[in-house]
Amino acid sequence: MTELTKSTSVAGDATAPAQAANAEAEPAVARVTQWGEIRHRFLANKLAVVGLGLVLLLFLTAAFAPLIAPQDPLAQDLNNTLQEPGNGHLLGTDALGRDQFSRIIYGTRIAVEIGLASIFLACLIGIVIGALAGYFGRATDSVLMRIADVFFAFPLLIGAIVIIIAMGRGVMPVIISLAVFSWPTVSRLLRSSILSVREADYVLAARALGADTRRIILRHIIPNSIAAVMAYAAFSVGGAIVAEASLSFLGVGVSPEVPEWGNMLAAAKDFMGVKDFLWTYPSIAIVLTVLGFVFVGDGLRDALDPKLR
Amino acid sequence: MGRYVIRRLGQMVVVLFGATVILFCCLFVLPGDPVGSLGGDKARDPAVVEALRERYGLNDPLPVQYGNFVKNLAQGDLGEDYTQRRPVTEVLAPKLTNTAELALAAIVLDILIGLLAGLIAALFRYSFWDVLITLLTTMAVGFPSFVIGMVLQKVFVVQFKWFPLISDGTMNSLILPAFTLAILDAALVARLMRGTMLEVLRADYVKTAVAKGLPRRTVLVKHVMRNSIIPVVTYLGISFGSLLGGALITEAIFNWDGIGLALVQAVQQQNNPIIIGVVSFGVAVFVLLNLLVDLLYAVLDPRIRLA
Amino acid sequence: MRGATSAKWVVGAVIVAMAATACSSNDAGSKDSAKGGTFRLGITEPTAIDPYNSQESEGALVTHNLFTGLYSATVDGKLKPELAESVQTSDDGKTWTFKIKQGTKFSNGEAVDAESFVRGWTRVVAKDSASDVAYPFAGINGYKELNGGNATTFAGVTAPDASTLKVELSEADFEFDKKTVHQAFSPVPKVAGAASNKAYNDAPIGNGPFKMEGSWQHNKSITLVRNDDYGLEKAKLAKVEISILNSANGSTLEYQGFQSGQFDWARMPTPQQPVAKAKYSPMKKWIEADTSGVNYLVAFNQTAPLNNPDARKAISYAIDREAIAKGVFQGMQKPATSVLPPSFADTYQDGVCSSCVKQDKEKAKQYAEKGGLKPGTVLDFGYNTGAGHEEWVQAVAQQLKDVLGLDVKLNGKPFKEALAQQQDKATGGIWRSAWGADYPTPDNFLYPLLDSGSINEDPATGKAAGDNRGRYNNPKFDELITKARGTKDPAARAAVYKEAEKLAVDEEQGLIPLWKRTQFRLAATDKFNNIQLDFFEDPNLAEISAK
Repeated sequence: MTELTKSTSVAGDATAPAQAANAEAEPAVARVTQWGEIRHRFLANKLAVVGLGLVLLLFLTAAFAPLIAPQDPLAQDLNNTLQEPGNGHLLGTDALGRDQFSRIIYGTRIAVEIGLASIFLACLIGIVIGALAGYFGRATDSVLMRIADVFFAFPLLIGAIVIIIAMGRGVMPVIISLAVFSWPTVSRLLRSSILSVREADYVLAARALGADTRRIILRHIIPNSIAAVMAYAAFSVGGAIVAEASLSFLGVGVSPEVPEWGNMLAAAKDFMGVKDFLWTYPSIAIVLTVLGFVFVGDGLRDALDPKLR
Repeated sequence: MGRYVIRRLGQMVVVLFGATVILFCCLFVLPGDPVGSLGGDKARDPAVVEALRERYGLNDPLPVQYGNFVKNLAQGDLGEDYTQRRPVTEVLAPKLTNTAELALAAIVLDILIGLLAGLIAALFRYSFWDVLITLLTTMAVGFPSFVIGMVLQKVFVVQFKWFPLISDGTMNSLILPAFTLAILDAALVARLMRGTMLEVLRADYVKTAVAKGLPRRTVLVKHVMRNSIIPVVTYLGISFGSLLGGALITEAIFNWDGIGLALVQAVQQQNNPIIIGVVSFGVAVFVLLNLLVDLLYAVLDPRIRLA
Repeated sequence: MRGATSAKWVVGAVIVAMAATACSSNDAGSKDSAKGGTFRLGITEPTAIDPYNSQESEGALVTHNLFTGLYSATVDGKLKPELAESVQTSDDGKTWTFKIKQGTKFSNGEAVDAESFVRGWTRVVAKDSASDVAYPFAGINGYKELNGGNATTFAGVTAPDASTLKVELSEADFEFDKKTVHQAFSPVPKVAGAASNKAYNDAPIGNGPFKMEGSWQHNKSITLVRNDDYGLEKAKLAKVEISILNSANGSTLEYQGFQSGQFDWARMPTPQQPVAKAKYSPMKKWIEADTSGVNYLVAFNQTAPLNNPDARKAISYAIDREAIAKGVFQGMQKPATSVLPPSFADTYQDGVCSSCVKQDKEKAKQYAEKGGLKPGTVLDFGYNTGAGHEEWVQAVAQQLKDVLGLDVKLNGKPFKEALAQQQDKATGGIWRSAWGADYPTPDNFLYPLLDSGSINEDPATGKAAGDNRGRYNNPKFDELITKARGTKDPAARAAVYKEAEKLAVDEEQGLIPLWKRTQFRLAATDKFNNIQLDFFEDPNLAEISAK
């Protein structure tokens, strides 16, 4: 239980600076120590640090793509199609003579955009529904959880394809389709951890002091349950990027014109054994990105809750 | 227990209802006419289109279509596919067998590799093997199945020619796709197994058993294994969804003629009865498996009482 | 763990069983080779093999070998009489009288007479069949009534006696005989019953050079054996084993199967073609042919911005077909400069589309200015996804941007959505498309793609239900088509068709030709003699013999 309370205040930090003024908040000093402790544990984990490095690299590449990419990722050169790596094209050119290195660099933007946005959206829906279900219980809980069950029952990729059938291909449909079938996990996580803290002493105390429901949910319950959600989210961004690339690979993701890793692989698939560089480099980009998020997610979970290690 | 099962079955029906409603809504908002053409560039004769719309009840309002779907489903009839005009059940049955074969092989690999690796890692904690296994399983999670599939195909099919590219019905053609499908879950099973075993090993009843002087083997099998396997069972039940999703990719890469591939093709052709068939099946099996897992739970762990 | 072991065992058992079947079929193959050999190939699952709804190349392959009709077509579009002994055409081109060769039988022993043709044709057109291949019959009297469900007999198709088949058309058509090469015009025996006869659908009894061995094993195989009672020149092959492959990657599988010796005939995926050509061409196993089809851009003639010939010519001049053929298709596609294909030697006009011959940026700009296609104009460019068009459409889009400064909006949609958008009245811009001939007549290109009769606009929704989705509409062109159909002399007729093509494609650029339809196949010429690609892009099974 102690572990749980500790991790709680971490998230409490993030919610509102105004909380510092709140009498119920722990002293600032204590919080700094806990942050430090978690950071210390995280940084002591070598894989986590590597992961953090990879994720930072990804973000920086996405942010400064135009500066890093040597060429316009859309610029075609029909006289130089399917060039092997070298000769002015670090990673070769594709069937339209576009510079593959530049396309991979720009691919980070789509990966970051879809990965972060879809998981953010999933967490948002998941937290709201999970909190309501966990706190109110009874009929509300039943109804909300059945709804969650319905979405949870779709295997992610299959569900996403169904939504994309209706919305058409594109970045937005991919984000929405991934979020729509990811939130039930978040709400289940949140609900179960709420159930476990609902009867905790400090919540009972707050209630005894006459705090209203909204206040209890926002000030106490969510901050206390958010740790599990955070670890899940970090881990899931990697999963969302894989799912997004998978959809494009299957020909139902973002538009084929967009420089995106799954699209690049889909176009390269038929060149297997003839032009292998077309699929190896985008694959490496995907693997490094996903590993980055997985390592960070793992590290975060271990740091927040060392017992699980 | 009986009442619990009945209540869960009731919930299952609700979930299936919700899922198929979502499915119907998504499929029928499309602008294209599902019987407007065959895959090609030629348009169908308007008279034929109309005849087919009548035959498949596509002129009915959506709720009526849904009602007919449920009514037929109750009789095990999923309708006729729009391309070949054959019963969907007949079209999907052989594909289902193929996917089941692949999934079964993958689960076997999951259990074999996952449990073994987890066991070794936990028993020899912090040893070289533990570090290696932890590293490998962490890495495996980062490799999307299409990357694994393409690498395996390149190395073992194109380069070494150990395996056929065309599934020729031998064990050889099953190995690579099954492995591709299994890697992710095997890694997760190994991590889970390691984690729970470490916890169980620290538990008082295990310490007691050891203190009692029971042989190490007995303690491991009777106490540790049995209790560690529960989360693994749950996980395998839940992982079915990702298995089916993974099958989409694996089947596409290895040309495995299963329901995953059928779904991808049906989406391109807007062959709605096939889409509905595959997705409803996936959802139904997933929900059913979850129920089974919960029941199995009770069998494996007598402390859990279902009510 | 016990569960796991037994599960593994089950998988193992299934595999052993499957391996066993694989072996036995191989044995059968070697035994048969003594009597003529077994030809093996892979296709993707056909829509149907029953003539009532057999349509794509794969279906045609099977149906054409199970059934023999009045005529067949050579790859260059020449008619070859089969069961038609003689034919008489009335001077108005409306009445056709075919004499049917007597004494031939269906493989169940039933005689093939004129009545079997009436039966077969009626079966295709009947309303309940909802056949996709009823349209070639549309010119025959009584089509509307039968197809609309107001009649059960085909008024224009009669059998005055066992050897005479009389066909009455509503409009003059001196090329009606050529239409009958389509497999929908096959005769069927009495046992065929209605189109809904599932047993017959999967194991049709025909009168062709081959017959079915067992039923169609869906997604697995179709096996044909020689019909030793065939009434015309018998096939030499004893057996044809057709494996049905995944359509997702059919050509890859065919290619791999050919390389490993499992298939005697194969397509290959586009990216692998240059390598395959280099390897198999010196071994004389490479077949290359420009077949009867064309890849083109639909240009929406009635909607801005391409509602005038100048704007459409600007688009055509701006495209560098040569560069895309070389760069993107690695030299495996050839630019098309006409709509009618080179395989129709009588009507082929190389370079008739003058804007297609060579990219000309200056002319493109001039025409754009005349046609009001200003830089920055939005041009919608649609294509259907999942069929391998993703790459080259981007190349075309880029050229239009570079040369004309257009704001090209690529719009990829799955097949049916794509079709719905093309049919919509409000759609403008260009759309990628292709056309393959159903029968070897110039009319089969010019009428469906460019005649106003093929717009077939639904008055209620404005939807163009016909194949002329670009809605090119010129009464002068329509007149020429009618005139050609009513011209009895073949040479004079060809001249009229040429004139029509020049008008619609060159002068008015009703559509924009892109590439010829070029087909590549690998054939096991080391084991078989006389392997060729036929008009329907299939191997000529009935004429192949083992070495």
